Amino acid sequence: MDYRHELEFGSFVTPSAADPAQVVHLAQVSERAGLDLVTFQDHPYQGAFLDTWTLLSFVAARTERVRLAANVHNLPLRPPAVLARSAASLDRLSGGRVELGLGAGAFWDAIVAMGGERLSPGESIEALSEAIDVIRGVWDTSTRERLVVEGKHHRLDGAKRGPAPAHPIQIWVGAYKPRMLRLVGAKADGWLPSLGYLGSIEDLSAGNAVIDEAAREAGREPGAIRRLLNVGALPGGVRDWTEQLAEIALEHGVASFILGSDDPGVLLAFGEEIAPAVRELVARERAARSA
Amino acid sequence: MDRGHPLRLGLVLEADAASPTALREEARRAHERGLELLSVRDAPEEPGLDAWTLLAWLAGEVPELTLLALGLDAEQRPPAVLARAAASLDLLAGGRVELGLRGSAESLEEALAVVRGILDTSLEGPLVLEGERFELRGAQRGPATSRALPLWLEGPPELVGGFADGWITADPSQAQAEAVDAAARSAGRDEREVQRLAIVRGGASSEDWAAELTALVLEDGVSTILLEGAGPELAETFALEVAPALRAAVAVARAASGVRVGIPVPARVRARRRPGIDYESLPEGLEAVEPGDPRFGDLRSTYLRGGDPGLVLRPRDERELVRGLHFAREQRVPLSVRSGGHGISGRSTNDGGIVLDLARLDAVELIDPTRRLVRVGAGARWGEVAAALAPHGLAITSGDSGGVGVGGLASAGGIGWYAREHGLTIDRVRAVEAVLADGSLVRASATEHPELFWGMRGAGGNLALATSFEIEAHPAPPLGFAQLVFHAGDFAGFLERWGAVVEASPREVTSFLMAGRPRPGEPPVGQVMVAVDSSEPETVIGLLEPFAEIAPLLDQSVRIAPYSAIIAGPRGPHRGEGEPVARSSLVEHLTPQVARAAERVVLGGAAFFFQIRAVGGAVGDLAPEATAFAHRKAQFSLVGLGPSRARLDPAWDSLHELASGLYLSFETDPRPERLLDAFPPETLARLRAVKDRYDPENVFRDNFPVRG
Repeated sequence: MDYRHELEFGSFVTPSAADPAQVVHLAQVSERAGLDLVTFQDHPYQGAFLDTWTLLSFVAARTERVRLAANVHNLPLRPPAVLARSAASLDRLSGGRVELGLGAGAFWDAIVAMGGERLSPGESIEALSEAIDVIRGVWDTSTRERLVVEGKHHRLDGAKRGPAPAHPIQIWVGAYKPRMLRLVGAKADGWLPSLGYLGSIEDLSAGNAVIDEAAREAGREPGAIRRLLNVGALPGGVRDWTEQLAEIALEHGVASFILGSDDPGVLLAFGEEIAPAVRELVARERAARSA
Repeated sequence: MDRGHPLRLGLVLEADAASPTALREEARRAHERGLELLSVRDAPEEPGLDAWTLLAWLAGEVPELTLLALGLDAEQRPPAVLARAAASLDLLAGGRVELGLRGSAESLEEALAVVRGILDTSLEGPLVLEGERFELRGAQRGPATSRALPLWLEGPPELVGGFADGWITADPSQAQAEAVDAAARSAGRDEREVQRLAIVRGGASSEDWAAELTALVLEDGVSTILLEGAGPELAETFALEVAPALRAAVAVARAASGVRVGIPVPARVRARRRPGIDYESLPEGLEAVEPGDPRFGDLRSTYLRGGDPGLVLRPRDERELVRGLHFAREQRVPLSVRSGGHGISGRSTNDGGIVLDLARLDAVELIDPTRRLVRVGAGARWGEVAAALAPHGLAITSGDSGGVGVGGLASAGGIGWYAREHGLTIDRVRAVEAVLADGSLVRASATEHPELFWGMRGAGGNLALATSFEIEAHPAPPLGFAQLVFHAGDFAGFLERWGAVVEASPREVTSFLMAGRPRPGEPPVGQVMVAVDSSEPETVIGLLEPFAEIAPLLDQSVRIAPYSAIIAGPRGPHRGEGEPVARSSLVEHLTPQVARAAERVVLGGAAFFFQIRAVGGAVGDLAPEATAFAHRKAQFSLVGLGPSRARLDPAWDSLHELASGLYLSFETDPRPERLLDAFPPETLARLRAVKDRYDPENVFRDNFPVRG
């Protein structure tokens, strides 16, 4: 399955507080390497990590072209209305370079330790769904309609809308299980799993099928949902990587590859060698299939 | 009344979503015009730009200016996350973030406790707070910042006086101010701990305005003044006309009154000071970290020992080190010296004393390429040294971990992966630069202070503060490195056979053996590491073959890698806990008796970690009297780490009866006979003579003292 989205390549940099300058440097290296995206994990209960939102805001000022996103935000510790306004603000400040990765939350003991509320898996998905409504509502300044979200976990009753983002911010959701995947199909702009958490590459197709069906049920085109994938270093050399990624793109519909690495050399190789090679291979194959 | 706080002026930016470019320009102009602060007011329910996002972005856009978040709403932003965000921005921006909080009276006090608790990385253990509004059940603290972030409050005077570093007020009138001061005093604080911030909106003429603001400083005790709601013209007048006049007037008045400008150390920090240290007379400019400092958590302990010193001094150069030493000598508390803080004997921290932390003396410099002479700062870590020398194709043999510091190892011995080929690290040292107990700087080498040079190689911790070492490096092409895991059922036999293979191997082979207490129901497992100084796979494999035959192999890996990759080690801070219990023995051969005694130690569970390092080879090329490390005949260094002295000592004592000495860096036994194990009689006598000449008052007595 190939949804024929334009391919994107990004980095996933550890937001280590031990050497903040190096983290910023790795974001700049990603940009220099020609990558499209820089992403950071968001684990607000981790004392050894930099706060992801703060880091994204700082990095936005220190980069010019590359787009930025959390991979993915821990929603139980990020109140959605504030997150929506923050994302829109940074999108305006950065000239439209922000996307929003969301997760329902995991590591509930750590969340509770930080003062967050413990939710069951079902509740956390419900809360995520409501949060997406809150976020989209805050962003939508095209209407003067009263902003009301009547959720169990998140409520808005006449909250002010705005600021509007500078560009349509995409909402990507980290999802693995059917209920979350259906939420992606119904409401999200992208699916963002990690290869390491999937059982196998085949799980991508299974996930795609659930998402596509949920999208159709919601009256959406499955092609409206971008498929992203976090990958670690793959075995083999540049050529092996290129072939593996191209195959994942063509057979499993993934159009955004995000590489987890804190090695500037690896990031440069990913952006300067692998990304163009995968693009070329996929373009060639797509052309052949169209013909 | 002037409270003597540093005068700072700045702007409150309007978080208008319409014009990000204008915001950047306004911020840059404020910097160019010499203002000190930028501030943004939090209004999370308004459709303007998010205040925290804007502030973090500005931190990336504008250098130097202090960034103050005004009125962050603790109801809208989880305070624990907010605290981490603040610490993160402070780290990213290089220490220029201040935090203003607001909230309902009930929640604000709790929010403040949460924020302070997360930021206070000087305390051990996670943060537990059971509030009505915020409940934290074991949140991690941090990230650690390099200074305490000032917290500003706009709220009830009791709260401000009791808890805040600063008071944001539209009305610094007498009654309010007195209430704040009274609250501060009743909380046991110095009322000057609380700075005052006023927000102003403009004045009649610039002269009148300057006069008004001068009165605000000199009469109402305000020191931070922010202009809010001003257009570009007013902002320009403020920065270019009013600010200079105000600064001049305050300077004149302060010169006349003689008020001391500064901010007192907060009561909560002073409360954690230790007796016997005169914190008020610390040398100016020298980085000093006391127990209430957020950096303390990263500096108190060493790799294996939990510490609780009263002060850590971190000099940047020899001059600062001398000043630190003079200060330390005047205090009646223990003195420890730390380079990397990795030492197994754990001597580089203490309880209630002073630590001279040399970590910032960490330069690595190739000073003479033809002689391969490298000057290495005592505070560098060996992993950094290896990485710095790798591009030159050189290496210095060190230990088995890159996290170990230069100073401790290069003044005691240094048993590393090239030991059998190139000797101990001290054998490659050609000169030492050091600070003596009286504060004088000396260079010791074969021709300058030769007796000191002799002693600094093996017993340096007794004699002087080494600041740098000149060491002869050796060419270091990539080398073979194998990790072999063995079924060591016949443990004593396994040790013997390994020892025999090591002794029979040529000098380019150095091997270390490690074992721990076997898991219940499982056979003992021995891990053997072998370094073979050759880049040729056939040579490496050939020299490894005899090792593979000593016992059944469970796992193996071999690679050819640069020394810098083999020695790569942790760089982060140490978080050791408790007291290490370690014993050391040096033996000539792994005889059946030695092997059986070692077997009793390991299999009996007296040591949870046991290691033997091959010494021998080039180590034995030097005569016993060449350095203060005298044990040149020993071919093996044994070390055990035990759960307690009561468990380890009896077992180790019977092993140690077969030993010819010990390596002091691996020894924690306080019994007096250990001194003669470390230093044979002739060495000890000579060492004491050197000691009496260079440290007659026994200042350096914390690490294997030769004078009690």
